[in-house]
Amino acid sequence: MPILSDTKFLVAHYMPYTDLPDECLERDSLWVDIPNAYYDPHKGHALYERYLGEAVLAEELGFDGLCINEHHATPASMMPVPSIIASAIFARTEKLRVCIMGTPPNLENPHRLAEGYAMLDVMSGGRLEVAIPLGTPMEYWVNPVAPATARDRLHESIDIMLKSWETQTGEPKGYDGKFYHYKYLNVWPRPIQQPHPPIFLVGSGSLTTVEMAARLGFGYAATFSPIPKQMKALEIYRQKSVEAGHDPDPSKFPLTAMVYVADTDEQAVEEMTPWADFYFGQLLKSGRFIELPGYIPVDEFRRRDGKFIPESHGVFDWKAIEAVYRVVAGSPETVANQLEKWAEETGSNRIICEVHIGNMPHDKVVSNMTKLAKDVIPILEERRDGAPKVEQSPQSAYLDPPEMMRFRKWTGR
Amino acid sequence: MDGPVNKKIVDMSGFDRSEYVVSGVRTAVYSIGSGRPVIYLHGGGTFPGFDFVREWARDRRVIVPYHPGFGESDDDPRIDDVSDYIFHYIDLFNQMGLDEVDIVAHSLGAWIAAEYASVQAPRIGRLVLVAPNGVVIPEFPNPDSFKIPKEQLHEYLTADPSVALRYFPDGHDIDFLTLGFRELTAFSRVGWEYPQGNPKLRQRIHLITCPTLLLWGQQDRFFPVGGAKTWQELLPKSELRILPKTGHLVLGENPDAPGIVHEFLTR
Repeated sequence: MPILSDTKFLVAHYMPYTDLPDECLERDSLWVDIPNAYYDPHKGHALYERYLGEAVLAEELGFDGLCINEHHATPASMMPVPSIIASAIFARTEKLRVCIMGTPPNLENPHRLAEGYAMLDVMSGGRLEVAIPLGTPMEYWVNPVAPATARDRLHESIDIMLKSWETQTGEPKGYDGKFYHYKYLNVWPRPIQQPHPPIFLVGSGSLTTVEMAARLGFGYAATFSPIPKQMKALEIYRQKSVEAGHDPDPSKFPLTAMVYVADTDEQAVEEMTPWADFYFGQLLKSGRFIELPGYIPVDEFRRRDGKFIPESHGVFDWKAIEAVYRVVAGSPETVANQLEKWAEETGSNRIICEVHIGNMPHDKVVSNMTKLAKDVIPILEERRDGAPKVEQSPQSAYLDPPEMMRFRKWTGR
Repeated sequence: MDGPVNKKIVDMSGFDRSEYVVSGVRTAVYSIGSGRPVIYLHGGGTFPGFDFVREWARDRRVIVPYHPGFGESDDDPRIDDVSDYIFHYIDLFNQMGLDEVDIVAHSLGAWIAAEYASVQAPRIGRLVLVAPNGVVIPEFPNPDSFKIPKEQLHEYLTADPSVALRYFPDGHDIDFLTLGFRELTAFSRVGWEYPQGNPKLRQRIHLITCPTLLLWGQQDRFFPVGGAKTWQELLPKSELRILPKTGHLVLGENPDAPGIVHEFLTR
């Protein structure tokens, strides 16, 4: 089935710091305790300039939006405060939407986060989107929040943000929570998109997060996680959304894929391999900091056999990754076929392509984005526009295909 | 829940087991022996077991409760401040009809005991604090238990690492790992933000009026022995015994330690 008629294409860029000496790469972890002496601010400046230029290119090539992330104390992302990056991108673009995915609101004062997002939304003329994560375990080693309270704080923080964005016509109300107390919750400015910018919850398949997104009418954005796990989460998200009286429309569950386009499949895989190796084998290496007391429920710990992360993190095997995750490196035709297949199985009309992987050089990012925009997307649109009109029924697409069942054992789900 | 204790080590034969419901939370309590009651409050991990209390059971009734969130007691996520344990134990001891007790307590348990004794001084006869944390001692900071890498834990627990190693399973043991994760989670609720102890304990610890024994291992790497003097100064009726060639698990590592405690209790 071709892509849906109103499909939006976004790119994702995680803006890592990549110029790391060999001694640094021998460490067990590139997170939490990696000394910041390894960060050269002048090289960092040059990288920010380069990456912001790539964001501008996303607009020039006609992409609908750009997704950025947030991590702390790691070269994996130079965006501990992604709102600042969003602000810089908005200042350099006119139409591009920016999705901040995202700041864990429990690591901030939630009303200040609501203020910042409202400012960005107003300044950009309504181009902001927000995805809310709990944050990786690693973030809690470098932020002053007890992990065992993280989920409760997250829920209260989201409640505060939503109330912050409500339009007050009379005397503003206060807020009395378990963690936060406000005499008056009265955020100026208020967002230009009403009642607030689009919100997604970021999740790795945990039922609590899926249900919460459905209940609040938010979108659900799956992290980089095994396809069967994402499909299961999507199935529950759709059911629960309907139960909660919300429309799980196809824009609410983005399809995220790591994408590299070259002239031929062989060339694409060959070029992609070292960058992906750097990403999975180095930047995602979190050592012992992935284990965090209180971060997951005890029964979930047991279910995962005491392992916190997918086996892809910290080791690199392209074939193994390709078999379970949404990654594709190939010719325009190959990439188009794969994206079309994934779009069909998810029923999503919001396709996010991670176009910068690991330490991919600038010229390759430019060529990747350009080929994606000029060669791949036109194939997808042509097939759609040339296809006979049929009643599209994404509801039928989200059942687990039988061939995925064999991955269940591997993923423990 | 399956595998709530370290099956390799923990042997409760000869103990009686009871359950109490404390503020809605099922709490498991073991006891052994008869005589004047002495409570043992365990530290942040129950995997070393309680064999050493048998020595006191020769002429005392020894009562070993599992804290909520540990061992065979249920979780209580509402306990998110160490002072919540004070009220847990007031409630439990009331239900058990215990008026005056002696308390022996280790590590996190000693922190809880010091907090409890500050509030319930008249209900305590004698107090033994073994390798305690709880009082913030800037001159002798502890390494923050949560930051100690799992693979190095045995080197921190006992002066002779091979002593601690016998508590650990030989290979991957999900029951053991789950026990550790669960207990570390419960500990983290009160300790993650206060690894150095409760900043307010120092201003109220003088309310402890009973005779107190401070028992410390010379090689304690969790809570450095340098801090022992501060505890002694804060507790006017205390005496300090520092045991050589002994790490953090004082009662498990040093064969003399249970007897020293027994002698102090029977004075």
